Amino acid sequence: MLELRLGRWKLPLPQFTKWGPRDRLNFRTGMLFLLPWTIGFLAFTLYPMVMSLIYSFSIYHSKAPLEWNGIKNYADLLTDNLFWTSLFNTVYMVAIGVPLTLFASFFCAVLLNLKVRGQALYRVVYFLPSIVPTVASTILWLWILNPQAGILNTVLGYFGIDGPNWMTNPAWSKPGLILLGMWGMGNTIIIYLSGLQDVSVSLLEAAELDGANWWQRLWNITVPMVSPITLFNLITGVIAMFQYFAQAYVFRGFQNLGYPLNSTLFYSVLLYQNAFQWLKMGYASAMAWVLFIIILVCTLLLLKVSDRFTYYAG
Amino acid sequence: MTKLLFKLLTLLALASMVLAACGGQSQAPETKTLRVWIQWGDNPQQIQTLFDKYTAETGIKVEVTAPLETDKILPALTGSEPPDVLVLSGGDLVKSYYKEGLVDELTGAIQAGGIDLNDFFEAPLDQCKMDGKTLCLPWGTDMYALFWNRDLFEAAGLDPETPPATMEELAEFADKLTKVAPDGTIEQIGFLPDQAWGHSDLYIQQFGGFWYNEDGTKITVNSQPVIDAMLWQQQFYTKYGVDNVMAFSSGWADAYMSADYPFYTGKLAMYVDGEWMTGPNFISAFKPEASYGVAPFPPPADHPERANTAVVQGTVAVIPSGAADKEASAKLLAWMMSPAIVAEEFCFNANLPTSKKAAADPCFTENPKFKVFTDLISSPNAKIIVTTPISLEFNDAWALVEEQVLHTGADPKPLLDQLQADFEPKLADALK
Repeated sequence: MLELRLGRWKLPLPQFTKWGPRDRLNFRTGMLFLLPWTIGFLAFTLYPMVMSLIYSFSIYHSKAPLEWNGIKNYADLLTDNLFWTSLFNTVYMVAIGVPLTLFASFFCAVLLNLKVRGQALYRVVYFLPSIVPTVASTILWLWILNPQAGILNTVLGYFGIDGPNWMTNPAWSKPGLILLGMWGMGNTIIIYLSGLQDVSVSLLEAAELDGANWWQRLWNITVPMVSPITLFNLITGVIAMFQYFAQAYVFRGFQNLGYPLNSTLFYSVLLYQNAFQWLKMGYASAMAWVLFIIILVCTLLLLKVSDRFTYYAG
Repeated sequence: MTKLLFKLLTLLALASMVLAACGGQSQAPETKTLRVWIQWGDNPQQIQTLFDKYTAETGIKVEVTAPLETDKILPALTGSEPPDVLVLSGGDLVKSYYKEGLVDELTGAIQAGGIDLNDFFEAPLDQCKMDGKTLCLPWGTDMYALFWNRDLFEAAGLDPETPPATMEELAEFADKLTKVAPDGTIEQIGFLPDQAWGHSDLYIQQFGGFWYNEDGTKITVNSQPVIDAMLWQQQFYTKYGVDNVMAFSSGWADAYMSADYPFYTGKLAMYVDGEWMTGPNFISAFKPEASYGVAPFPPPADHPERANTAVVQGTVAVIPSGAADKEASAKLLAWMMSPAIVAEEFCFNANLPTSKKAAADPCFTENPKFKVFTDLISSPNAKIIVTTPISLEFNDAWALVEEQVLHTGADPKPLLDQLQADFEPKLADALK
């Protein structure tokens, strides 16, 4: 068999044989089935991506032809204070929001995996928030976090805690959004829950017989066994958080985007402002490509580092 | 089996093509529908009913889409089927759109439709003019004045019929009208300068300047009037502690359309708001028993000639350059601008009419509170907000500085210097 060698990988090359009429028909039918997806991909994914790459090196005019701008859009980003503010805010959410959500959803999944009465009911209750549409849940949380009448600060008050101004204090607006995100983490819990089902019972039993307690079994068996799930949730969580938009858009209420004090000005929010409000489509395209590269690098980095922490059975 | 599937698929594809072709033919050219997009609109049904009158008069159907998100407008203007008339919430973007070739210059349409430009109040029409061209026509407008709670005035020992006569007096009144508990917690506040949103444009004009020069070719955002206006506003926060005021006023803006609005609940004694508040949909709807007064915002003591200074903001109508039938657009625009239609629409919404003839309608003059605004619009000190092609980006940056000065107590001077440095090159670039 022919092989293509690339470093330590070997790719078998397809064998070219003469096609019979049946092969050709199969090929054509197969292509026909692929056609809708292919057209969609070409028209709605590849074309916009290529165009945005071109726009990112130019000044975009709606009617007049593009004006070539070299790397000026990219160079301008470096000196744009708003760009750095939005990047900081976004990285804050990624660095604090994602791990916190992962930890909390793993913890919830472990609890929901306990064999107790009403297990199915609890699972439904925890999953329910994630089917609430983003805009609706964000508006709901605007009420929950309201410093005067909100339920959260009222409950905190019962414990003698003077709740912060979640919506107007720039130090608390992002934590408020993280709380809102954690309320809707049902999807992550479900994925963890499915991972927990796969944890080998025999391993757990063997450990129990050897005298390992609940905590030791969790830390030494369950956590490593679900590590691929953690990696998956981590990567999808990081990607989603880098693109954080809808909640921030709704959360400001009647105020400007980024309120208070640009503390909720996230990367995608600034990108949206540049593109659709300030009519700077070229600049926004450059921002999109920078975000693409940031996400790509983060994902590759996570995959690389994860080799040491992830356990794949078999 | 595969052959059969292949045939079926081909048949399906053919069928869909035939259906698509039929769809194309069924659109008869004579039943034309004009499309009007309106950015604002609390009551889209009412606007549709208004335009149905046009259908009754001319037989041409009009389809209204309102309200609109800002981000829908640009794709519509650049696309192949823009609306026939577009009504924007403000004049901020008109110049940018014109520069990008997205909207038409209206001289031709004004002539074709027989629109009388002399019937427009000057201030709102000014925002549509650039280099002698008319790029839009104002359709209804907003102005701001001082609202005060008579009951709170009385309780504080002030004459409930007499508003402050100067900005300095306003600050004194505000102090008398503010109640602070021994622990520093605020229980009632006399005046909040940025309730329910910023009004710096008004205060800066009272101090005798603006953040652009008059023709919008230069940024003057670190000039003395701007600094003075920011310091004047800041005192209402710093005097009682920024954090205390912030805690007390948190969530107020979101209560705007409810009975919990601080002006109704007696938590706020004076603030700046627009003419619609005096109409049937706001104070009379949420707190009919409220006893309040309205007066033009006072000038600084050493500049009495600036009395009746007011900032005009409001909706403007444009014709997209890609509109299919310009003649039809022009006729519809002329109909929209006719005094009777302007009177009907803005009487319903309790907004100011931009047509002088419409303003004579009793609807706008019989309510003495509303008349404060009708009088203001013809005041020689009624000014538009100068706009430039970078207005929207600047406004967002401005809002941040305003927030920093008022909500954190920051020194305005360095922030305004920075804003000046950031936007000078941007404006120069945009005007090239």
